[in-house]
Amino acid sequence: MTEHFDPGTQQDETASTSRRHFLKTVGASGVAAASVPLWGPAAQARAADDPPPRSDAPRQGLSRIRLNINGHLHTVDIAPQMVLLDVLRNESGLTGTKKGCDHGQCGACTVLVNGQAINSCLSLAISHQTDEITTIEGLEHNGELHPVQAAFWEHDAFQCGYCTSGQIMSAVALLNDKQMGESDAAVREAMSGNICRCGAYRNILAAVQDARQVMKGGA
Amino acid sequence: MSDQTLGAGPKRIDGRLKVTGQATYTADHQLDNKAHAYGVFSTISRGRITGLALEVARNMPGVIEIFHHGNFPALHHTPSSMAGGNKVEETRLPFEDERIYYDGQFVALVVAERFDQARAAAQAVTVRYEEETPRANLEQGLTAHGTREGKGNHSRGNAKQAFESGTHRMEATYTTPVETHNPMEMHATLAHWPNGRLQVFESSQGVVQQKGAMAKIFNLAPHKVEVISTFIGSGFGSKLWMWPHAVAAAAASREIGRPVELVVPRSQMFTTTGHRPETKQTLKLATDEQGRLVALSHHSISNTSCTDQYVETCGSVTKSLYSCDNVSVDHRTTQVNRGTPTSMRAPGAAPGLFALESAVDEMALAAGIDPLTFRLDQFADRDESQDLPFSSNHIRETAERAAERFGWHQRNPKIKSMREGREIIGYGMAACNWEALKRPCDAHVALRADGTVYASCATQDIGTGTYTIVAQTLVELTGVPFERIEVELGDTSYPKGPISGGSWTTATTLPAIAEATRHAIMELKTRAVRSGGPFDGVDVASLNFENGVLSHNGKQMSFAEVLSSMKLANAEGDAHTEGADTSKYSYRSFGTHFVEVRWDPLLANLRVARVVSAIDVGRVMNEKTARNQVEGAIVMGLGMAMFEHTEYDPRTARVVNNNYAEYLVPVHADQPEIDVILLDYPDTAFNEFGARGIGEIGITGLAAAVANAVYHATGIRVRDLPITKERLMAGA
Amino acid sequence: MRAFDYTRPGAVDAAIATHARANSAYLAGGTTLLDLAKINIMQPDQVVDINGLGLDRIERLKDGRVQVGALVTNTALARHELIETHYPVLSQALLSGASTQLRNKATTAGNVMQRVRCPYFRDGTSPCNKRDPGSGCAAIGGVNRETFAVLGTSDQCIAAHPSDMCVAMAAIGATVSVMGPNGPRDIPFDAFHLLPGTSPAREHALEPDELITHVTLDAPPGGARSGYLKLRDRASYQFALASCAAQLSVEGGVIRAPRIALGGVATKPWRATDAERMLDGKVPSRALFEQAASAAFNGATAYEHNAFKIPLGRHAIIAELGALTGLETMQEVS
Ligand SMILES: Cc1cc2nc3c(=O)[nH]c(=O)nc-3n(C[C@H](O)[C@H](O)[C@H](O)COP(=O)(O)OP(=O)(O)OC[C@H]3O[C@@H](n4cnc5c(N)ncnc54)[C@H](O)[C@@H]3O)c2cc1C
Ligand code: SF4
Ligand code: FES
Ligand code: FES
Repeated sequence: MTEHFDPGTQQDETASTSRRHFLKTVGASGVAAASVPLWGPAAQARAADDPPPRSDAPRQGLSRIRLNINGHLHTVDIAPQMVLLDVLRNESGLTGTKKGCDHGQCGACTVLVNGQAINSCLSLAISHQTDEITTIEGLEHNGELHPVQAAFWEHDAFQCGYCTSGQIMSAVALLNDKQMGESDAAVREAMSGNICRCGAYRNILAAVQDARQVMKGGA
Repeated sequence: MSDQTLGAGPKRIDGRLKVTGQATYTADHQLDNKAHAYGVFSTISRGRITGLALEVARNMPGVIEIFHHGNFPALHHTPSSMAGGNKVEETRLPFEDERIYYDGQFVALVVAERFDQARAAAQAVTVRYEEETPRANLEQGLTAHGTREGKGNHSRGNAKQAFESGTHRMEATYTTPVETHNPMEMHATLAHWPNGRLQVFESSQGVVQQKGAMAKIFNLAPHKVEVISTFIGSGFGSKLWMWPHAVAAAAASREIGRPVELVVPRSQMFTTTGHRPETKQTLKLATDEQGRLVALSHHSISNTSCTDQYVETCGSVTKSLYSCDNVSVDHRTTQVNRGTPTSMRAPGAAPGLFALESAVDEMALAAGIDPLTFRLDQFADRDESQDLPFSSNHIRETAERAAERFGWHQRNPKIKSMREGREIIGYGMAACNWEALKRPCDAHVALRADGTVYASCATQDIGTGTYTIVAQTLVELTGVPFERIEVELGDTSYPKGPISGGSWTTATTLPAIAEATRHAIMELKTRAVRSGGPFDGVDVASLNFENGVLSHNGKQMSFAEVLSSMKLANAEGDAHTEGADTSKYSYRSFGTHFVEVRWDPLLANLRVARVVSAIDVGRVMNEKTARNQVEGAIVMGLGMAMFEHTEYDPRTARVVNNNYAEYLVPVHADQPEIDVILLDYPDTAFNEFGARGIGEIGITGLAAAVANAVYHATGIRVRDLPITKERLMAGA
Repeated sequence: MRAFDYTRPGAVDAAIATHARANSAYLAGGTTLLDLAKINIMQPDQVVDINGLGLDRIERLKDGRVQVGALVTNTALARHELIETHYPVLSQALLSGASTQLRNKATTAGNVMQRVRCPYFRDGTSPCNKRDPGSGCAAIGGVNRETFAVLGTSDQCIAAHPSDMCVAMAAIGATVSVMGPNGPRDIPFDAFHLLPGTSPAREHALEPDELITHVTLDAPPGGARSGYLKLRDRASYQFALASCAAQLSVEGGVIRAPRIALGGVATKPWRATDAERMLDGKVPSRALFEQAASAAFNGATAYEHNAFKIPLGRHAIIAELGALTGLETMQEVS
């Protein structure tokens, strides 16, 4: 996977430490990324070598666009029919957002666009050039977990973790939305667009309600 | 750090990776020059391919190559032996010939630069078929093929005769539909061939088995294959054994000389990656005058595919749950045009206990006995099918404690008698049960000079928390906290570990990890007492290791200091542990579910409002993850009871509801109040930690408890899953 | 999904002109279009993004009607004060549909234009008169439970109209304003969606290149109350098996201006006019509601797996009328 960089915005992009953090590459020798220690003292994911700046023109049929993702401008060469989910995952290296169905039926691909939760599998990347996009990679602040992330961890609000990015993004949108009901029933309904096949709903609810208190400054 | 030892409920060690999106699942791995593959899938269910039109697709942008039966490389079959470490469920290779056996079978594979290009080109391939009449369901299979011998049968006494002479009798047929696992992460393979070796990233519950199968299929020395599954978006059985897509991706990668990523689309996860087969089960029970079971017969037929034999052993629990002298358990299959079925969470027991525990309820009512009392009186005290004692069995306590918590004694046994507002309340119960298994396992542990402890094993964490309980084991034995522990799983370059299935991962892996840890500690001590070592000349046996510190006669040194002082990188231990000795005991896990349903006749709405379950799985290794497993299994059981049903068109044998919008699984709003009681009685006859396994038991019996509650609420006995509203509506 | 061109015009005229130049599709929220484009059921060569047209406002007109811009999202519409206050049925219907994420993208016009959820239509190969006119209808004689109709079907197509929002609009009464190459025109909501009849491929009254600009909701009669009831298998995130939108007022103890529409059971958002006539001017009672509910399903046709929708639809009507008139004492339905 080569990263596409626009010399004009390279500053933005390489300055992003969170971006460096999530890049994972497998070296030419074929040593697997899995051999990168998972956690513990050597737990930082291996940062990619800085990709070379790009001065070439986009390939035929592709448009070069800029997307504001997690406060950083990403320059990507895309075809118009490419959905945001595929662009995040395959072109921007942001693989935290997951694909569970590709058809708006599961919620694994949930990201925030201007603060609102949407299914990134049913949205064209090209239509988001003026939007603020937030993905799971953008929630941490200076290495500190977002209260929703912390609550999900604390309450074991996942098993396999595959729906988790989407659940967390929906929860963040929900908790930031003053018009959303606060009752358990309201949360359950509002979060029903995020399927958890592992069935961790009980803990997800607990995590959301707990994070609500933290975000209100209560706990 | 006592809150991180075994039995406590520490947060998962991999939790940060999962809540930050940094856990790497198969398709998250970024390989240079990666190409994307997309399948062309059969749109008929039986027949042959007579022509493929590829020109249009070939000329589409980004297309690199299109594979099909005419140009796919010749490969080999795997003997498909679990003991041999090369099992697959579907032995036929993709693109082996022009025959079509099921809807959704791979007929071509397009490889392109980008995902959208591969998909577009795959959609542009047209296939001509010669179609034959498919067998679309169990009944059609029976008519066309009759039945085949299954496995796991059992007979004691004379069930037929005893049934005839019983005082109270019940006989009924129960059916369960095809269910599809639908793990959240779609099956995915990312394969490449660095330096002539095959490296595969796979969403797999069994990397070791896949490695073996790949080696056989590609005719490679085993060490030339590596399979990696660091994180998996669950599997529920569908990812235990490799499916055709993995072979297709690996072969394509070899042919084009680039890494190839192939993600099975959600629609084809209903066809070519296994399913829980359809079952038809006939139960015959009889009691004497006092209501004691005298005959128990459980005969089932399930569908298999036209390429392989898979048997759903519905009567596996029937053999031993109740005390009864005359028992007959029989499993048969019939061939239909579907992909090959496979284990889905609690295979056999999940559909089997729906039938058995519904039938037991019917029997109890026929005999005029409270269903709880009936069961308490007749749960077996030893495994009568094997004539062995249970290693540890607290099923009565599960039933009593859950009944108490649930409020079973407030139940008015009269049908439709309990109401609140417009809703009619029904109470139901059922036992749950699952075998406990322990397999051979290898593991590696190292105490490292930087003060960290490292463990590795080629088993997987599919969401059950294996990473975490391995870490807890290390904490327990070394005193080193999570912060200084590293665990690596899910890679065949680590010592051989078990599949993540059958609820045996914990019981199998932890003893090996523990043994390897003890070996590492012994290695540390042995080094330390050598000449020039910090404990030069001390008798190894009198050297103490506690909380990461070696001590003797007041002299104390951390293992990091010991290793550093000797310029050693680490002290390592390797271990191999054997499976459980099954000659002395029968090992099983037990439990009981109590369910409250609410039926609103005006809205024709059925909901499960409350579930109380007590589970006896031996020692609970991690309170958090164990509870989570049982709760999740209950949710899946609720799906099985009320929604899940893979529908096949009776004319074409094609899956109709092949997506997450129409194959209904429970959503958050369906979540009932769930209260799980974990008994926590260590089963030390089974293994040193006393832990059995907890992944599957929670789903068993749940559908029966719902059906029994529905009967109590409505007077309607539903013997065919799922319990949809039309089955309960008057006049529908 | 085929490759397509993308344009984002800034004015309605330009959008229509651009649309006319190729085999095009308007892109609103994209939750139907992209879903179907990915499986090649919709195959535009050009996508005209209409999110830059400024059609995202909700306004109360002088005559008391409420004009909803075509691009107002389902979330924004459901939560708008005017809607919550005057059209609870619409707010409830919207919130019962799809998921939070989908509603955040789905638009008013897109929802009106959403396609059927018939799996045979979506599979791309089964005989389907809607997708491939004249090829037959695989759903008849096939698996036809969830997303299939019992009202308004023909021997050519039995797919239910999937929308919740449209059912509420049918009950409220509305006008669809469109702009096309030949200028603007208004289409009464009831006339917008077409019955399958002998040409199921023709689903609505739009002419080629026409763009929906607004949907204008009739002013509710004074004292009207309204509500939406959706019945399904799971508790959320599922299309209706049967639903009922109702709006009425009770004056002097009798029902006035009843409007009832049904979803999940019919091939278009379905006005139950027979039931309305039966209710008008009558004193609310359980018996009356049962009669009206039966009348609503006169002439219904059941298929292999969806016969239960007839009683289920009746339940929906009876329960919703009960809720609106305060007759909550009902128990079993015959
Ligand atoms: C998983 C899932 C579950 C769902 N569940 C429900 C449910 O329970 N209830 C329900 O009601 N709906 C449900 N939906 C459907 C959803 O409401 C629709 O997809 C949505 O309303 C479509 O709106 P959109 O703006 O995204 O349309 P788009 O996809 O942008 O457009 C849809 C169609 O309308 C055309 N179009 C769009 N705007 C205009 C215009 N202004 N003029 C002319 N043509 C136009 C487009 O060209 C396209 O053909 C569900 C969808 C999904 C994917
Ligand atoms: S019901 Fe309509 S949409 Fe479905 S197959 Fe028949 S014609 Fe096509
Ligand atoms: S991947 Fe987008 S909703 Fe499932
Ligand atoms: S944690 Fe596995 S799907 Fe939610």
